[in-house]
Amino acid sequence: MSGWAQFMAILRKDLIRELRTRDMIVSMILFVLLAMVIFHYAFSVKGNADLTYFTGGMLWVTFIFAMLLGLNRSFAQEKDEHCLDGLLLCPVDRVTIFFAKTAGNLVFLLIIQVVAVPVFALFFVQRSFVSDLLPFLLVLLLADIGICALGTLLATISMNTRSRDLLLPILFLPLIVPVLIAATGATTLVFAEGVGFGTVVARLLFLLGFDAVFLVAAWGTYDFAIGE
Amino acid sequence: MKKLVSAPALFLGAGAFLIIGVVLAFWYSPIDASSMGFSQKIFYYHAPIAETALVAFGISFVAAIAYLRTQNLKWDRLSVVCVRLGLLFSILVMATGMIWGKAAWDSWWDWEPRLTTFLLVCFLYAAYFVLRSVVDEEQRRATYAAVFAIIAFIDVPITFFATRFLPAGMHPAVITSGGTGMPGSMFLSFFLSMIGMTLLLVALIRRDLQIETLKDRVSDLKTALGG
Amino acid sequence: MTVAEGAKYVAAAYAIIMAVLIIYYFMSARRVAALQRDMQLLEDEAKRLQASAAGTAAE
Repeated sequence: MSGWAQFMAILRKDLIRELRTRDMIVSMILFVLLAMVIFHYAFSVKGNADLTYFTGGMLWVTFIFAMLLGLNRSFAQEKDEHCLDGLLLCPVDRVTIFFAKTAGNLVFLLIIQVVAVPVFALFFVQRSFVSDLLPFLLVLLLADIGICALGTLLATISMNTRSRDLLLPILFLPLIVPVLIAATGATTLVFAEGVGFGTVVARLLFLLGFDAVFLVAAWGTYDFAIGE
Repeated sequence: MKKLVSAPALFLGAGAFLIIGVVLAFWYSPIDASSMGFSQKIFYYHAPIAETALVAFGISFVAAIAYLRTQNLKWDRLSVVCVRLGLLFSILVMATGMIWGKAAWDSWWDWEPRLTTFLLVCFLYAAYFVLRSVVDEEQRRATYAAVFAIIAFIDVPITFFATRFLPAGMHPAVITSGGTGMPGSMFLSFFLSMIGMTLLLVALIRRDLQIETLKDRVSDLKTALGG
Repeated sequence: MTVAEGAKYVAAAYAIIMAVLIIYYFMSARRVAALQRDMQLLEDEAKRLQASAAGTAAE
């Protein structure tokens, strides 16, 4: 079986399994929507506080924490059902597993965002940002890739330790701060002022660089992260 | 490890350079013309500690790679030692940075890029130790720690860059640290302190490495006897 | 801020650094000594066990 075929096989397995039960996705969506409501109450101490410049931050904090929940869930499930052990017995290149899992997580995150972003816009965003849709989507995609790649790598490690899901946020959050900074900045600009492509380009390039660097790093180290 | 220079000599040498550095900083280097005035002199220790911390993390990065390639635990020991010292130095960077901030700009903390980066670095490498503490088996712990050390070190310059250039609408970093064109009198104090700190790092690494090796051998002996 | 006040801050910063580093140095020195003592004890114990085992085997 070629590398690509293996990749598709693992990806399909993960997607089908989740789409059949949908419990992880549904839970994550509910979490994200609830978080938005909570944010409203967290920040509305002063009457009609203008949250326009907080929007990017709220959105990405929500997605990052939702992703942590999702990663914990899916990897814990894998470990308990020994799926990973079965997979490792096959002659699959370890790195293929990484890319397949990352892609799967990316799909889940995107599904959640498709639902969450319109609701978020309804709750918090005054201006219509349809004109800036393309830069926004690019930021979304690039940040998502970084989050999923790092998340998958770290979840693989943390799941095999004593404190499992408790460890993942501690490892993940410091590392993801640059992505958070870039994505928040770009998203806030899109929601608040509307920007042409130009102003967001720096952050897009940064996210692109971040993704490239960490995908390569994960490619080099995943063998060790997953090996037993 | 080569015993080219004995441990006490290394420590004394480090101490000497550091003390000379202090003396020069106080009396030889001119008082900064900007509003920072005398408090600028904290820089002569603040900057060397910062760079030494980063050197320590760099060594841990190389050692981590070496461990993954050779599976020899001595590299893991070097990696832990360097991360621990780097973390210690980073905490000192933050302490001196905060004191400097209070002295020069009357504010203990204002999310200035470099201090914020070191704060994140502290969290990052504290997480390294949390990771180590929850894996019991030696080789696996070393492997996971090595992977994380590699990822963490790659993230450090990225974080520096991000906190400095990316926050939307933030005021630009208003930190003057003598810049790259330091007058000679300033540079001498800085340079000597830098040498002192580096020597100190080397001395501490050797000492801590010795401790780690002894610890491992003691526990090996204990299992051999008890088991 | 006058020179005198500034000097106080600077001195405080140096003092903290030196204090931490010196304490760390002495703590690590004690650790080394303790570990070396442990090593010695354990090695002696191992030799003793070996000697008595050889002794009983000879009988």
